[in-house]
Amino acid sequence: MVTRLPAGSLRQLGPATTFYAVFFGIPLMILFVLSFWTQQGFERVPDLTLRNYLDGLTDRLYLQVFLRTILVGLVTSFIVVPLAYVMAYLMRFTFERRGQLLLTLVLISLFSGYLVRIYAWRTILGTGGLLNTALMHLGLIAEPITALIFSPWAVMITLIGLLLPLALLPIWSSMANVSRDHLEAARDLGANGWRLHRTVLLPMVLPGVSTAFAIAFVLAAGDFVVPAMVGGTSGGTLVGNLIANQFRGSGADWPLGAALAFMIMALLVFVYLISVRLLRSVARW
Amino acid sequence: MVGVGRRSVGAGHDTTRGPGTSARSVWAARLFIAVVLVYLFAPVVVTVLFSFTTSRRLSLPIEGLTLDWYREAFADPLFTSALTNSLVLAAVTAVVSVVLGVTFSFGLARLGRRARGPLLTASLLPAAVPALVMGIALAVFFTALGRPPGLPNAAIGHILVALPFVILTLNARLETFDFSVTEAARDLGASPLRTFRDITLPIIRPSVIGAALLAMALSIDEFVVTWFTVGNQQTLPVLIWGLLRRGIDPTVNALATVVLVALVCLVVLSNLLSRRRR
Repeated sequence: MVTRLPAGSLRQLGPATTFYAVFFGIPLMILFVLSFWTQQGFERVPDLTLRNYLDGLTDRLYLQVFLRTILVGLVTSFIVVPLAYVMAYLMRFTFERRGQLLLTLVLISLFSGYLVRIYAWRTILGTGGLLNTALMHLGLIAEPITALIFSPWAVMITLIGLLLPLALLPIWSSMANVSRDHLEAARDLGANGWRLHRTVLLPMVLPGVSTAFAIAFVLAAGDFVVPAMVGGTSGGTLVGNLIANQFRGSGADWPLGAALAFMIMALLVFVYLISVRLLRSVARW
Repeated sequence: MVGVGRRSVGAGHDTTRGPGTSARSVWAARLFIAVVLVYLFAPVVVTVLFSFTTSRRLSLPIEGLTLDWYREAFADPLFTSALTNSLVLAAVTAVVSVVLGVTFSFGLARLGRRARGPLLTASLLPAAVPALVMGIALAVFFTALGRPPGLPNAAIGHILVALPFVILTLNARLETFDFSVTEAARDLGASPLRTFRDITLPIIRPSVIGAALLAMALSIDEFVVTWFTVGNQQTLPVLIWGLLRRGIDPTVNALATVVLVALVCLVVLSNLLSRRRR
């Protein structure tokens, strides 16, 4: 198929590549350089210091928030990815004929407004919210459950709803390539239930599952709107809030914010690689 | 809900449905799907429902229905400017990301398999970086250039957010594209431009429009990158965020419902178009 010289191809790849280089590559590099500067009052002074990173590593509050961010990210994705896997499996193999309709519904929920869904969860989970009111009407509880809102739980409940459609799509598309006959054959050879998934289907859809995990984990741990809206001021703060505050709050400190951003990204990549390795060892013959 | 059994029924296996599913597990599966759908759609239903109720506080039971919140929302001059800005951004994002995405995908399609994979992955990278990081990186970048925040900066951010998804959509379409038809047109003397206009574009048009609608939906829903780049200008999500910070205001539900309807239309259309000609 490749009969042409890549010259024509390079010309076609050029514009988007340039766009990425200028508006994605260079900004990230500038951000990285900035993370070694210092903030003095309202001025940012060019410097080559590791102080911002050390501040992030030694401050008790920051460490606590880092740990909470990783935990929230991991718990959320370990709930979201299995849910998405089961959902994708049912859509693909059990309700095959309704699969397309279900997929459209999932897409609609994905695009039903990011901010709006977060806000709606606050309405549902709030102390005077729908869930508490309903439970009190039913007589199941006497007092509203205050821990539902402004807590890490609220953050995770909201994130699961936001990320489930996103995690489902890659798993669904890798399952689309798995033929039903393959599963039948495995079943005829005696693989059933858990074993069928662990030794046959999961290894086949592993790329989709890893992608789903990466999306869920990075987006959960990198979000700042959800913790800002439903996480409250103390118990639900994530690194995203700390970073955002350095850029659009009073007492802004861009270099520190930049350093925090690179630290959390490095941490995310590290945790992701370990998790994928674990996943690989589970999905084996 | 009767499955279509094409093969003969094996010993003890119900092959008319999914592999090895008994009646009880089918009910369990239905329950599972129902619970997931309720989880996904509860926030949507709450928003739409309370955009029509009379009470200021969001609680049950519902006292009465009204369109007042819509009237109030539409009467607000901030809403009009936010709506205009959002539509302009969506249009710019769609056009630019599709032009960049189409050319890039054709370039990819001409490459050998070994070069294509890594390049495709690289082009999807912005989708793997948290929007927050992209937002602050762009804010820092434009400050370094001395450009004040505003709509053009936000447009760059939106294109960056949409481009990976446009490339993903078009790449999937071009994988099954038969390049011999364009070569035939070239052999018959058509210029590259004419070949593209008369042969290539009509074939891939549904996917291109699908990708454009997806880019618009992503742009209209984008909040995080916008918030760091747009300055004091309004877009619909920025306006909603501002209202939310101020406390309970039922017009938010009306605004959100307007956004919701627009997004759902775009996504359903996009989905239908991308699916055709597969």
